[in-house]
Formats: sequence, C-alpha cells, structure tokens
Amino acid sequence: MGLSMNLTAANDGKTTIIITRETRIDAVNATQFKDVMREIINDHGKPALLDLRYVDFMDSSGLGALVAVHKAMPPGLSLTLANMTPNVERVFKLTRMDSVFQVLPTQQQENG
Amino acid sequence: MMYPIDRQKADPGKLAACETWPIFHRVLTASPLAIRETLCDIRNRFTKSTDPDTLGRLELVLAEVLNNVAEHAVPRHGGLAVKDSPTIHLSIVRTERGFVCAVTDDGISLPDKCLQPRNLPGFEDSELSESGFGWFLIQDLTQTLCYYREEQRNCLAFSVPLARAVRSS
Repeated sequence: MGLSMNLTAANDGKTTIIITRETRIDAVNATQFKDVMREIINDHGKPALLDLRYVDFMDSSGLGALVAVHKAMPPGLSLTLANMTPNVERVFKLTRMDSVFQVLPTQQQENG
Repeated sequence: MMYPIDRQKADPGKLAACETWPIFHRVLTASPLAIRETLCDIRNRFTKSTDPDTLGRLELVLAEVLNNVAEHAVPRHGGLAVKDSPTIHLSIVRTERGFVCAVTDDGISLPDKCLQPRNLPGFEDSELSESGFGWFLIQDLTQTLCYYREEQRNCLAFSVPLARAVRSS
C-alpha cells in the first residue's frame, strides 16, 4: 500500500521546518505520518517546527501519532507546532495536549 | 407598482427551510478509507446548513465512533480477524438544535467500559499516552449518548448540539 505522505522539510540553520500538504491526518495515514516525521527529524538532527496550516482535520489517531513523535524526539530537541487550523486546535484543547506541546499562535495569514 | 404582501414575502422560503432539514444516510464497510470518504461526504452534505464549529465537532465525533468500529469490532481469534470487517449503517439528521446520529454495526459487542465516564489518559510526560483519546472525545462532544445491543448489532445513538447551545450551557 504505497500511500505517499506529503511532507517537506526545509532548514533555516537552527530549525527543521516541516510542512505537510496532507489535509487530513487520520486513521488512514497516521502511522505513515509518524514514521516519516521521525525519519525527517532524525535525519536533520535539529529542533523541529511542524506547520499544520493545510491540515483541516485530525482525529485521535493523528493526535496519537504526534504524541508518539513528541515522545521520540532526540534528547535536547524540541517539537513545535504552528499554524493550527480550528479543527486541529479543537482536538488539542479538548485532550489538553495543547499544554504538552509547544504551540505557536496561528498567524493572521495574508499569503494563505 | 405592485407590492408583495407581507405573508408572501416572509413565509414560503423560511417554512420550506425549516421543514426540510438535510439528512445523511450511508451503509459502509468499517475500513479507514471508506470512513474517510464518508466523513468528507458528510461535511459536504451539511456545510451549507451548519456553522464550521458545529460541523467540526460532528466530524470529530463520527471519526472516533466509526474508527472505533473499524479497529475493535472485528471478530478476532488469536489476534487474527476471523470475519470480514463489520458493515456500518449510519444515519444523521440535522435538527433545529444540532445533529442526531445513529450508528449500527454487525461487529462484536462494545465493552461496557467505553461508555463509563472517563478521564483523559495519562499526562506524565514520561508515559504520555498515544491512545485512549477516542472515547473521551466522544463523551465530551456528545449529548444523550446511548448504546444497546440488538441481536447481532451494536446500536449507538447520540446528539451533537449546535455551537450556540454549547457556549450557553
């Protein structure tokens, strides 16, 4: 089942900035999302920032995948989440996971 | 010049809108892909009649309920599935106050503990839980959640209130 996971990573010198073009992180792709995230983070060896602006839906499988990535962060490296959409923010707030992760407030976006 | 009388101006459109709330019905196999497709169709079905917050809560609850069937309702023996994935019947009615949903499936019984009040899973960073959020979310986002077993089927019914009702409660 070669589902491709649309994740791209860029380096700004200090941080690995990961952006996903997946619009849903759910029971279909959560495991793969977790695996690719871990691979990117391990390959770059820097603190990571995950930009979630395109993710319009996340269920508890997606949340579980992010918790797993957070727990598996290499020692000393942080995982920060940015640009959560309202549907993603809701899952984090209801489960109090917004207090476990570093979350950057969503920017007022001009560039979409 | 002709002026429409008030009655004509006010009534027909509104009455029609009140009497024909949208509904959604689907029979699907309990598989992650079929569930995802169904959730997208539900969003399209109700997006015109519902605010984004209510729709987001509905989608999340349904995702948790349906994925739970896909993950846990398959009859297993020694870890291996001994029957095909259950078939789910899903009905959703939009009402004045929100959504009323009925989900039935021909999988194995739902354990009682799913419906008992629960707390969030472990919070210590060292043993942060990666699962166990599903039933917490279902209980948190629904009203009048009820379950019964009828012959070979699980039946789960619940309502998801409109955003306005949530804020004022």
